[in-house]
Amino acid sequence: MSRTFTAGLGMLSFLLALLAAPLGAQDTREGHLRALNSLSLYTPEDAGERQYLGLKDAPEKIPLGRIDAEVLIVEVFSMYCPHCQRHAPDANKLYHALDSREEFRNKIKMIGIGIGNSQYEVGLFREKYAPPFPLFDDRSSAVVGSLSGIYTPHYFGLKMKDGSIREIFYSESGAFSDAEAFLEMIVEESGIQRGGNS
Amino acid sequence: MKMTIRAAFLGLVFAVLAGAAAHAASDALKGMIYETGPLKATDSKLKVRVGEQAPDFTLKSISGKMVSLSDYKGKSNVVISFIPAAWTPVCSDQWPGYALAKDVFIKNEAVVLGISTDNIPSLYAWTSQMNGVWFPVLSDFWPHGDVARKYGVLRSDGTADRTILIVDKKGRIRYIGLHSINTRPPLEEIIQELERIR
Repeated sequence: MSRTFTAGLGMLSFLLALLAAPLGAQDTREGHLRALNSLSLYTPEDAGERQYLGLKDAPEKIPLGRIDAEVLIVEVFSMYCPHCQRHAPDANKLYHALDSREEFRNKIKMIGIGIGNSQYEVGLFREKYAPPFPLFDDRSSAVVGSLSGIYTPHYFGLKMKDGSIREIFYSESGAFSDAEAFLEMIVEESGIQRGGNS
Repeated sequence: MKMTIRAAFLGLVFAVLAGAAAHAASDALKGMIYETGPLKATDSKLKVRVGEQAPDFTLKSISGKMVSLSDYKGKSNVVISFIPAAWTPVCSDQWPGYALAKDVFIKNEAVVLGISTDNIPSLYAWTSQMNGVWFPVLSDFWPHGDVARKYGVLRSDGTADRTILIVDKKGRIRYIGLHSINTRPPLEEIIQELERIR
């Protein structure tokens, strides 16, 4: 009995160890895709931000997939993160670079998610750095509970279709210093069609 | 024997769950954080109460200056922030937020005194890595944990419990928040208390 139990414990330990083993990049990306698709975030109070996101109504929460874009750039940040604070002006430059490209303006959109941050904490970050793109808070800790293994700031490049996130084509922790080059990389990696008005 | 197996099994499950726990540390401290895993939430017994005069103390700051609580009497409200240890996950994600909220503290006529039982070189290196902080960072290293013991927030392992105390200009304790070592105290809670006493 004891031997059977010990063998069972060994097998269970092995399975748990497998679960705990570091996930490969692809597995992590698939896990993050599932997590991002299951997330619901509190809808921005600002009507201009809701319009930018293509939201015709203002439910309490929205899934990320509802954002009207072909490609969505998501900056996962924290107001407590010194690199995010230092990077904020460059993140703003990325939005302005995007906004200045008419061919992509409505196809590629950008948001920020304050991971583990309350509404008040995200509000302080907004007040300090005046980001021109919508920031979501994580008042229910849903984001911090589901996106493991990332360091802030972390950028996701998402392909969106039919109300859901279809693919994570870019996922990297760390800041960028050249907004134009970062945007070009997003355009290239996403395979989004160039030319024409958005 | 059965007890040993059960304990080992529970320990393993706990370790796996702890390892898989989500967090999003700043890229500024990537690879430098010592993962403690979940710890006993609190491990001390407060020796001070709201309404009492705050015990005075004098500690050396990372700038080399000696700082006393009484230096601020009649001049400024004081937010005393005891943190458990440098280079650990939650602590590294707490003071940089107070750095961002500097204007809010100043508006509420408050200064922050950050206290840890780490030694000066360790605290200096750690806060430098987070781009520095605007408030005095004080070392309660020797006699080890003397101030933490005086306030009743010294844990049995020689670190301090994650505690916020607000002391008004008359030197009276107006708020005590003894928080779980595993979570970051919400910033709005501190600011709301400051606004109440202003």
